[in-house]
Amino acid sequence: MAKAKQKKTGAPAGKSAKTAVQSGSMMVVGGGVAGVQAALDLTELGYYVYLVEKTAAVGGAMAQLDKTFPTNDCSL
Amino acid sequence: MVEAGRSPNIEILSNTDLLSLTGKPGNFKAELQIRPRYIDADKCTACGLCTTYCPRHLADSFNEGLDLTRPIHIDYPQAVPASYFIDPDACLYLQHDTCQICVPVCRANAIDFSQQPRNISLDIGAVVMAPGFGRVPEEALTQYGYGQHPDIVTSIEFERLLNPAGPFEGEVRCLSDKRHPKKIAFIQCVGSRDLGCGNGYCSSVCCMYAIKEAMVAKEHDPECEITIYYMDIRTQGKDFDAARIKAEEHYGIKFVRARVADVIPWKKNLKLTYATMDGVHRFDAHDMVVLSVGLDSPTGARELADITGVELDKYDFCKTDFFEPLASSREGVYAIGAFQGPKDIPESVTQSSAAAGISAGLIKGQRGQGIVVKKYPKEKPFKAKDEPRIGVFVCHCGINIAGVVDVQKVDDYTKDMEGVVYHAQSLYSCSQDAQKVIKEMIQLHDLNRVVIAACSPRTHEPLFQETLKDAGLNRSLFEMVNIRDHCSWVHANEPDKATDKSMDLVRMGIAKARHIQPLPEQTVPVTDKAIVIGGGIAGMTAALNLAEQGFQTTIIEKNDKLGGHLLDQRYTLSGEDMAGYLKKVTDLVAENRKVDVLTNSELAGLSGFVGNFSSVVRTGKGKKTGEQTIDHGVIVIATGGREHAPVTVLGKKVPQSDKFITQRELEIRLAGQGKNRAPKSVVMIQCAGSRGDDLAYCSKTCCTQAVKNSLKIKEINPASQVIVLYRDMRTYGFAEDAYREAREKGVIFIPYSMDKKPGLSARGSKAEVSFHDPILQDNVTINPDLVALSVGTVPEDTAELSKLLKVPVNADGFYLEAHVKLRPVEMPVAGVYLCGLAHSPKPLDEIIVQAQAAAAKAAIPLVKGKVSVDPIVSSIDKDKCIGCRLCATLCPYQAIEMVKVDKKPKAETVVASCKACGICAAHCPTFAISMGGFTNEQITSQIEAFGEALEEA
Amino acid sequence: MSKEEFNPKILGFLCNWCCYAAADAAGVSRYQYPPNLRTIRVMCTGRLDPAFVMRGLVEGADAIFTGG
Repeated sequence: MAKAKQKKTGAPAGKSAKTAVQSGSMMVVGGGVAGVQAALDLTELGYYVYLVEKTAAVGGAMAQLDKTFPTNDCSL
Repeated sequence: MVEAGRSPNIEILSNTDLLSLTGKPGNFKAELQIRPRYIDADKCTACGLCTTYCPRHLADSFNEGLDLTRPIHIDYPQAVPASYFIDPDACLYLQHDTCQICVPVCRANAIDFSQQPRNISLDIGAVVMAPGFGRVPEEALTQYGYGQHPDIVTSIEFERLLNPAGPFEGEVRCLSDKRHPKKIAFIQCVGSRDLGCGNGYCSSVCCMYAIKEAMVAKEHDPECEITIYYMDIRTQGKDFDAARIKAEEHYGIKFVRARVADVIPWKKNLKLTYATMDGVHRFDAHDMVVLSVGLDSPTGARELADITGVELDKYDFCKTDFFEPLASSREGVYAIGAFQGPKDIPESVTQSSAAAGISAGLIKGQRGQGIVVKKYPKEKPFKAKDEPRIGVFVCHCGINIAGVVDVQKVDDYTKDMEGVVYHAQSLYSCSQDAQKVIKEMIQLHDLNRVVIAACSPRTHEPLFQETLKDAGLNRSLFEMVNIRDHCSWVHANEPDKATDKSMDLVRMGIAKARHIQPLPEQTVPVTDKAIVIGGGIAGMTAALNLAEQGFQTTIIEKNDKLGGHLLDQRYTLSGEDMAGYLKKVTDLVAENRKVDVLTNSELAGLSGFVGNFSSVVRTGKGKKTGEQTIDHGVIVIATGGREHAPVTVLGKKVPQSDKFITQRELEIRLAGQGKNRAPKSVVMIQCAGSRGDDLAYCSKTCCTQAVKNSLKIKEINPASQVIVLYRDMRTYGFAEDAYREAREKGVIFIPYSMDKKPGLSARGSKAEVSFHDPILQDNVTINPDLVALSVGTVPEDTAELSKLLKVPVNADGFYLEAHVKLRPVEMPVAGVYLCGLAHSPKPLDEIIVQAQAAAAKAAIPLVKGKVSVDPIVSSIDKDKCIGCRLCATLCPYQAIEMVKVDKKPKAETVVASCKACGICAAHCPTFAISMGGFTNEQITSQIEAFGEALEEA
Repeated sequence: MSKEEFNPKILGFLCNWCCYAAADAAGVSRYQYPPNLRTIRVMCTGRLDPAFVMRGLVEGADAIFTGG
């Protein structure tokens, strides 16, 4: 892997930017409702996602809510 | 959330901090540190035994410190990952090197104190930042006595009090003496619209959640008296005003426009001092005071900004561009949710999808490169006549089942049942090693049906079906029996009866299993093109985004040119040039080879279903009309809206005079070159035609528009007198700063109420406005040079298109989305998406985001290239079908089509639309319809097994 | 326990999306209820053919419960 990368950097600068292996992964910082939804949509669009959360579990503030307006669905 | 936990393509890194971010879009490198949780998440079964043994108490931060927990715990049972963790700051072992009681207690041997922080580095293409919101400064709370009395609580604490999993199991009680409060006050704008604590903006969500909490509290105790003290009630969201009216009229919640001076403990109660508009100070006693706290920028926003290199605004939210609302100052890094500015759940969720779409477009070349696609062995051939060879696995679930149900007895009970060739128990049948055992046993005993007696199929069926697929069995050859959620957990005090019930349920499950047949995995190919109906800013943005993601898109516009309602707008609140932006977008559309534009066109017909729509588009008028058919996979509705032309304003006909103009007309005039374009005196009338006047709803944008035009007038002619008559100024979010600026520049804002409406009339060439001034406590009549009416927004005609697309509209004529909170840009009909003013009135930046979100959602079926269908859909035996059409009429999802076979009408299931409800099967007079996984035969055999169990008893 | 006590056997049809989910939630919350119910999961109570109800009664159920 490391060798392959070294070869790539040997290419002309303009070209290397295009030919360098781009990552097919994404990073979402924050595992609240916004982060989780973004992560789910990204996988559906064909990407691998790292969902980074400071605390021990995803859910954020939404998990603390009792009910959400107006359907009063359980927020989980 | 659970979905995220289950997706093979989402790696949840919990307990993790971002350390650095280097590189460029497409080639970012992130360094992260994973802090130890001291529990092996793969082994932890979330049984909860450890928490009961942990000797130390700890304030439960998840319950806002209102309850106690232990250092080893889980915040709530449905947490993802469903693994307990140890709070290192509180654990006796980690702090004092003692205890370790939990280690031997854990039966899964999951506790591991040797875990160390671990650094990892990731290669990523783009970054989406959603760190959420933070808490408002302490001084915003203490000014209302927070901390001095336990019955002064924040709205988040009150939310936990309302929650059945909260400290009083859902009962609202005073924290001081556990009595039920009879009188509750809500104080709005705590930590919002308050320069004193540094938060000049409006948090946008507090009015609505206060109303929600008040209504829920009223449901708990209808006798409870609730008062909301407010400055302006900002329920500007879609259908939010209806809730406000319901709160007042149906629930009897009182709304008092006042500034609260302070809250002082007074005997058992709390004395609240407040000043109303007339300048009078009043007092009232309450049992409980709820502080409606605002949303602050996220904790650690500055560190995060330093690490990621994005700029923040003056309130420490992420700085973004008005026309690119999610783009941070660093390319390839997007900000969503409350970090981008305070907002509610639907708007956050919309931004999530939008950010996903934009970042996907950014590195579309890498689509599908990183994802994991699982491969399965070939399915074993299955003959319907094969004798059932059933394997039964009865789960202990640690002590969750075995602690109540006699698992040995249930296991023995299955021994002599017909078709059962293998039966066993397992400690945790969902664990990784159990999957290996199940797989081995399927192969060793040549099993062709698997029954697992454990927990709920709703949560665990997919896991076991994976295992079946791994073992080369069709995943439908599986039945789950719920002896945990439906037996051991709910009959914990009657172990014998719980065991009996488990045996009955297992018997019924096995009976069904004998009749299970493999079902084919069905997929429908997709035409990877999109159409967008409406060529306004929403439609163009959606089309450009779809094109950016690589999909050919056709815009269908009924007028002769693109632009929609934006053609009449000139400048934004912060002064950006609207016309220039519109031109830029229109040019981009014209240049983009993947976007086709059909003007003077409309949708005339539609057939098909998600992935395979076929539309008839009519172009031109009169004799020149032409029609063409377009095949496409998805539809985005962006039909837009326009300024309302009210018949009546404030209950009376609009005076016929050129002195009365709308805000849109005023904007065009102010943006022009006319010398006297900024008149000497202007009165603006808010809610002219909205909120129960002519239209039932709030149009969301008019207050900001009035402030925008007021500021423009003051800019051109500082001597102009501008009076704004309003009901609630709804300059939510950062527009609050502009509202404050307008007041500072001398714009006069005077509220009116519906029982004292202003009067409008035209006398000769003069306009006359009379209104009640609540500060002077008197009626005032003036003759301004100009009266500007804030008339609100109506959707462009939705009646015809909604019928054509079979999608619902609400009472106000706006399209109704699939789920207002969680699926805000999807329609109930699969493959149809929604954005812009056709959804509800909203400002331009929100329209742009919504259009990006609709494009992202619409791209999903196109990316997949096929629509997969759960095999449990209905199937129709054409030989038995008599073509009576009963099923087609009854199907709530239009999932049954009538086709001709040998010139006879026959019903056929549209598998992509079928939701497997079974209404068709239950009504078919000839039993021609079968439901995969729920056939007549299977259900009847379950009922029979129920009967047999009765005989045994 | 006295034999006189009425101890009905109830057959229930539960909708996957609401009532079955609610029964799961009852379990998660450890709500205790009498163990007289035996359940069959369906994807929607629309699936219920009246014949299922009759068959249940014929098989000896004292009552049929539908939740959806």
